[in-house]
Amino acid sequence: MSIEVNGGRRGLTDPEIAAVIMAAVPDKPLETQRKMNYFMKPRGKRVNEYETLCCYTQPTPDWIPGGLDWGDWTQKFHGGRPSWSNESTEMRSSDWLAHRDPAFRWHALYVKDKAEEWRYTDRFLKAYSADGHVRSIDPVWRDEVLGDYLGAFGFYEYGLFNSHSSVVRDCLGDTLRMSSAMIGLDKVDNAQMIQAERTFLSKLVPGFPESTDIPKQEWTQGSIFKGARELVQDIWQATYDWNEILFSGHMICDPLFGQFVRREFFLRLSSYYGDNLTPFFINQMQLYFSQTKGITTDMFHTCLGTDVEFGDYNNRLMRAWADKWLPRTVNALKDFMGIYDTIPEIKGVSDKAAIEAALVRVFADWKRDFADPINYKVDTAALVKTVLSGLK
Amino acid sequence: MAISAATKAATDALAANPAPVSVGAQEVHRWMQSFTWDFDKNRTKYSTKYKMANDTKEQFKLIAKEYARMESVKDERQFGSLQDVLTRVDAANRVHPKWNESMKVISNFLEVGEYNAIAATGMLWDSATAPEQKNGYLGQVLDEIRHTNQCGYINYYFAKQGQDAAGHNDARRTRAIGPLWKGMKRVFSDGFISGDAVECSINLQLVGEACFTNPLIVAVTEWASANGDEMTPTVFLSIETDELRHMANGYQTVVSIANDEAASKYLNTDLNNAFWTQQKYFTPVLGMMFEYGSHFKVEPWVKTWNRWVYEDWGGIWIGRLGKYGVESPRSLRDAKKDAYWAHHDLFLIAYALWPTGFFRLSLPTPEEAEWYEANYPGWYDMYGKVYDEWRARGCEDPSSGFLPIQWFIENNHPIYIDRVSQVPFCPSYCKGESTLRVLEFNGKKHSFSDQWGERMWLSEPERYECQNIFEQYEGRELSEVIAEGFGLRSDGKTLISQPHTNKDGKLWTLDDIKKINCVFSDPLKAL
Ligand SMILES: [Fe+2]
Ligand SMILES: [Fe+2]
Repeated sequence: MSIEVNGGRRGLTDPEIAAVIMAAVPDKPLETQRKMNYFMKPRGKRVNEYETLCCYTQPTPDWIPGGLDWGDWTQKFHGGRPSWSNESTEMRSSDWLAHRDPAFRWHALYVKDKAEEWRYTDRFLKAYSADGHVRSIDPVWRDEVLGDYLGAFGFYEYGLFNSHSSVVRDCLGDTLRMSSAMIGLDKVDNAQMIQAERTFLSKLVPGFPESTDIPKQEWTQGSIFKGARELVQDIWQATYDWNEILFSGHMICDPLFGQFVRREFFLRLSSYYGDNLTPFFINQMQLYFSQTKGITTDMFHTCLGTDVEFGDYNNRLMRAWADKWLPRTVNALKDFMGIYDTIPEIKGVSDKAAIEAALVRVFADWKRDFADPINYKVDTAALVKTVLSGLK
Repeated sequence: MAISAATKAATDALAANPAPVSVGAQEVHRWMQSFTWDFDKNRTKYSTKYKMANDTKEQFKLIAKEYARMESVKDERQFGSLQDVLTRVDAANRVHPKWNESMKVISNFLEVGEYNAIAATGMLWDSATAPEQKNGYLGQVLDEIRHTNQCGYINYYFAKQGQDAAGHNDARRTRAIGPLWKGMKRVFSDGFISGDAVECSINLQLVGEACFTNPLIVAVTEWASANGDEMTPTVFLSIETDELRHMANGYQTVVSIANDEAASKYLNTDLNNAFWTQQKYFTPVLGMMFEYGSHFKVEPWVKTWNRWVYEDWGGIWIGRLGKYGVESPRSLRDAKKDAYWAHHDLFLIAYALWPTGFFRLSLPTPEEAEWYEANYPGWYDMYGKVYDEWRARGCEDPSSGFLPIQWFIENNHPIYIDRVSQVPFCPSYCKGESTLRVLEFNGKKHSFSDQWGERMWLSEPERYECQNIFEQYEGRELSEVIAEGFGLRSDGKTLISQPHTNKDGKLWTLDDIKKINCVFSDPLKAL
């Protein structure tokens, strides 16, 4: 037969073509090693699907530790700066490809989870609206706290989201790059969920403004988010070291400020003000927080902090970074204390003692999960006290 | 509205209409543009000579969750087909062996392009100022992770299910040995991520995606299915569904800088350089993979090239950008000349260097020779007779002691590498446009094969300093280089690469290569 086949004839189904193909296919497979990436060191017992599909996709040379390629870059930036280089971070690693998302999510698994969350969100909102829950929300909470301050908090999430762009460009490993993009996407998702909640409320509550104008004014000019705004701006735009961006955002700022605002303010208080809607969204953010925490603690504690060659140095650097970013985060929280002035006080819930207890919880969690592993000495009681001085 | 009045209104509204309400993706997206705010330090970390406009819109209006929903639907279909019916009918063992080999390269090299596109679009997400434009690039970041995983999945699937796993199972480790890798890095890796951010976008989206990878992805599916491969179309067509958004991103990039003064000065030069960069590698490599890496042919590469690169891209796509001052690249005409012979020239070299590959290559069969001659008159006199000679000298047989690279040496046809594109060429034996130019800089010699690359190097030599494989391997014996680069199968002695795909043919071992004692030398040293 002719070797030129057209008209969309397919070798799998066209008998004439199939016969030629089958005559050429070897009688038994030529290679017995059928496992892709068999050569790599898996995190667990075996190379899993995530590791097969993600690991060693990074084409860096071996002078960037972990790389399998050799030689120089084929094209560089104007002036000769290399495509990727060890100088892009102060951290040192003996293998930049060592990180794993503890949940082993490659793209398909990541989007599958989020797709389910979206479908469920849609069903939840329909049931919530049909049920008339919205009637029970305290009007001050609804119009001022959700309308203005939750909206303003959306800018915090959006700013942190943008801090991931240069990380995605500059970081030195494949799994690092994919994880950074995913935790970045979760942050913009948070900002979008906040806007979705406000748009939803505007459909149910005539006159509730869905516009971002007032929240943006609150974020850019108000006093409650001043410290947070300056902090986020610095993480997003004033920091060039991609590890420092991830560390400041996910190991200091978000586990303290983000956790307090989401978990201890919006999530805990909302039900007291008759609001069962906000917890639905905040709980999704908390899920993302915990997944992100798994990722970034793997990066900083499991990989960099215990690196055989550079572990001590890395931990020292992380402590120096903590010294730099912790006071700004504490200051952001202190400014945020101003929010309690805007809501009707509920005894045992939003009074000073309750706020202090909430702060103690957040700082204790942070100390256990983020400070202790890098041997960072911190007086959390003093920090709580500083934050509380922001209460009017 | 006063607070209590709002509560009453909500109650009344609910009483009048208790219908379930939700929020759609676009209702959220329409606020995206207001998500950012001005502050001092708000500027990109990657310099560009262009200024991207603050109000650039994006047409797909996705939010994170809707993006995930859309992609996960496509994933279900795609992975469902692969894991279910295609596995049951043993589809991976019903692929022509030559094509099985081509997919080792195509899927892995495309994976590198996809992977680097993650970083490239990360940079563009950083560079753009308009939140909608950032959002468009963000979607692409995630897509490119998807595509990286999908390309990997093809090799993973072929390794697990197919007829020859070697090369599919370890391409990420062995790909760096051979002569095609560095050139691939120029177009698919560094060209996307290292440079002026807009220049990188032009390389990636305006040329890489709009001109080459989309045709590549679509054409590949036709060649694949003709050769019995239904896995590749299943995956690549699913990749393709995301590409429309990427081309739109490229289009929006141009729109966002159109009113900037810098655009009138630099845009066409950047486009011309990007086009030449991309075509210099893709034109010969794609043509070679299709025509020499298949048994059943779909159409001559030169026809595909003329239709997709010259007419559709150079004419229609660039034409649409004409209102923004974009012109068809000046180098397009030279590229068109190359599209006829360049892939034949390259295969001659690639075959001669077969031991450095991570795939098996095959000499054209008599019926293929006939097809080449019919479609490229003059083919036999230049290439066909050389292949006949190599075959007669036993180049397929491990006991022959003959490697075709020896033919180049015996006949005094040195193979050089173009410093800028890293593509090998043989100026004394080629029908394509390559000519040898040698320049010296800082005590080091550099060879070039065309004026466009030479110009890029002349204006910025510090961007193209990468040593080539001959400089790297100089003085080293071939079997040593192969062993060091992990070019062996799991028995520890048979090469992954082979000069044939005959099922009854003998396989070469490292010892067979060692016996020949082939030592690399750098042709620039001889000048
Ligand atoms: Fe892609
Ligand atoms: Fe793409």
